[in-house]
Amino acid sequence: MTAWLTANMAPLMFGGLIVTLLIGFPVAFSLGAVGILFGLIGIKLGLLDTSLLQALPERVFGVMSNDTLLAVPFFTFMGLILERSGMAEDLLDTIGQLFGPLRGGLAYAVVFVGALLAATTGVVAASVISMGLISLPIMLRYGYDRRLASGVIAASGTLAQIIPPSLVLIIMADQLGRSVGDMYAGAFIPGIVLAGMYAIYVLGATIVKPGWAPALPPEARTMREPDGSSGTPSLGVLVLVAVIAAVAYAKLRMQDSPLDETLVIATSVGTGVAFFAAVLNRALKFGLLSKIAERVVFVLIPPLALIFLVLGTIFLGVATPTEGGAMGATGALIMAFARRRLSWKLLKQAMDTTAKLSTFVVFILVGARVFSLTFYGVNGHVWVEHLLTSLPGGVLGFLIVVNILIFVLAFFLDFFELSFIIIPLVGPVADKLGIDLIWFGVLLGVNMQTSFMHPPFGFALFYLRSVAPAKDYVDRISRKLTKGVTTGQIYWGAVPFVVIQVIMVGMVIAFPQMVMVYKSGEKQIDINKIQIIVPEQQSTPSTGPGAAGQAPAGSSEQDQDEQALERALGGGGTTPDAAQSPTPPAEGTTAPEAPSAAPGAGEQDDAAKALERAMSAPADAAKAPPK
Amino acid sequence: MNALLALSRAIDAATERVGRFVYWLVLVVVLISAANATIRKLFNYSSNAYLEIQWYLFSVIFLFGAGYTLLRNDHVRIDIIAGRLSARAQNWIDVVGIVLFLWPMSLIIMWLSWPLFVDSFARNEVSTNAGGLAIWPARLMVPIGFALLIMQSVSELIKRLAFLSGRLPNPLEKHGSKSAEEELAEEIARQRGVEAPVLEGKTP
Repeated sequence: MTAWLTANMAPLMFGGLIVTLLIGFPVAFSLGAVGILFGLIGIKLGLLDTSLLQALPERVFGVMSNDTLLAVPFFTFMGLILERSGMAEDLLDTIGQLFGPLRGGLAYAVVFVGALLAATTGVVAASVISMGLISLPIMLRYGYDRRLASGVIAASGTLAQIIPPSLVLIIMADQLGRSVGDMYAGAFIPGIVLAGMYAIYVLGATIVKPGWAPALPPEARTMREPDGSSGTPSLGVLVLVAVIAAVAYAKLRMQDSPLDETLVIATSVGTGVAFFAAVLNRALKFGLLSKIAERVVFVLIPPLALIFLVLGTIFLGVATPTEGGAMGATGALIMAFARRRLSWKLLKQAMDTTAKLSTFVVFILVGARVFSLTFYGVNGHVWVEHLLTSLPGGVLGFLIVVNILIFVLAFFLDFFELSFIIIPLVGPVADKLGIDLIWFGVLLGVNMQTSFMHPPFGFALFYLRSVAPAKDYVDRISRKLTKGVTTGQIYWGAVPFVVIQVIMVGMVIAFPQMVMVYKSGEKQIDINKIQIIVPEQQSTPSTGPGAAGQAPAGSSEQDQDEQALERALGGGGTTPDAAQSPTPPAEGTTAPEAPSAAPGAGEQDDAAKALERAMSAPADAAKAPPK
Repeated sequence: MNALLALSRAIDAATERVGRFVYWLVLVVVLISAANATIRKLFNYSSNAYLEIQWYLFSVIFLFGAGYTLLRNDHVRIDIIAGRLSARAQNWIDVVGIVLFLWPMSLIIMWLSWPLFVDSFARNEVSTNAGGLAIWPARLMVPIGFALLIMQSVSELIKRLAFLSGRLPNPLEKHGSKSAEEELAEEIARQRGVEAPVLEGKTP
């Protein structure tokens, strides 16, 4: 019995975790309890040193001094203020009018606004509620198919999960030991492509079934010129002028700058030109711009300004990703104040919700760290690694299995639990297989996004159900009896979008270039940095920080990689005090992350052996209370 | 039992005050961080103290806020199974959870973190970063935070037991303040002149 227990501690512990989580007590404490219970059993069996639990306070301290996590309250607070600022309502109304006259136009408007809100730190629940209350009634009024309408709203709301800045990407970067800035840069194109695929689906649906998404009838088009024309040519001219200005600026002034910087500055120039034209037109009453052109410019300015404040300052290197969140939060406060939407009540509520959300997120992490202390002590990571590396199909087999695992778990767990429990287990294995961790993180991010859309537990569906009319009702404008949306229609409407999501996972696997652009323009610097970071005593060349099997005693790398801590603990050396991990560079350049595994020949075997060696003495592992 | 209920009310009131103090730090730390980035860019001036104070304050938020979050029942759960059980069963889960899950972890961390503070205070430990802050206040936050959490869990345990013995209404039912999502839905509905939707009692 004892021998069997000793041999199977890791699987037993993992099984125990699942059972415990399903009981329904708060996740943070369940995780911690399993860690402590198995820690005590391990000590009893002689598997672990009696001083194991001594390491716990230091683990909590490591979580405290991890300043990446500050981004969680910043972006949460920003999102809570922003969702009440009225920006989303204005956008949905105006963009709805702009695209409405097209077949499927309202659906395109929802996708477009969903992506735009996502880029200003959208919150899934808020996006879905806003769209469900503003766009859905109009779609129902003019005869949209109920499944298409609800599916497109739920899916567009979840774009907030993958388009930066998003909490998932921050936490993923933290757990994988990569820089948040790189994770953002890597997720950008997949996020846009995903929004594009939603739009393509709408297009396809309108071609096959024109009745599913009719154009707005003339009487519903309210933003028209006095003579009844649409006024869109005027907008087209304005956009053309703005684009020319942006491209010209990029070509003339920014030839030597890296791609992301050029994009940020050029976009700002183009937007500035359009804004200037619209202000001038209004102030001097030129009457050159149509009503809709002016409206579109004015509603797009606030989100674009916020995107600049957050992503722009990060990509330009003015602010760290964490500070980008604070800049955005301040911007959102100013904007809500300027629009007279900021009240004491709202401010207090936003602070209250932020404090509670950050607390439960960080506590899940604390619980996960208590769990992992024991789990690594009993060689759980070695068990997981054997399990995952013995799969047929090598890297691709690993990716497929991990993605299926996450896809299935996403039915039950939300992304906080997935990121804190599953990612630390699969991340090191991925790294060892030579997989770029940013790419891996974005891939799993796209996958986890489905957890919001899975019927019947997906949050996006839940909120849409809450705000969508369930019963037949008399429409306010058309005065006609309008059919409600059944729960079945909401579920079935989400299914095509879950399929799109799976296709997108396949596309990110097939075309890693979509993510790998994050490396553009920085390669040279990174390679130099690696030389400095790699510790002397390490003979294996040039694996990035956090690569499996390294992290020897006292390695002075700058990453706050939790896994490195784990390994160092396992390695029996003194754990580098997390409190001493240097704060980000004061210049605010995005942290100099080394690209993962610029692989040297044969190094992986060495790394594997080093890990085995380091882990073969669990008793030693526990003897090293980090101090 | 009445004495216990009085104790529970007193603890709840204390935790409420701590929570209402702590949430203001959210605003403070946002402003410090944004100001720090702006000043660094504009005036090329920065100090590690401004970076460290941010995580100090954030640590106060989540350590001191842990009990408050417990009071509001906002620590996330996986309620696929528990959500279908009766109110009594759900309260029993919490009783067992508090005693067997929450207490061991919290007591151990509180107990073991105290000597680290004493040591840090005695050595007058200072951050190794240039211009860094003293470390002992951060060390002190850990035992205090977990003590507050344990204190609140005692109150929650009393409330669960009082419900199970028929002395209190179900403490797990959402009461009082509205969630951010409900407020948003109501506001949009008000502007659009339609009836506010009812968001069911589930928080993400």
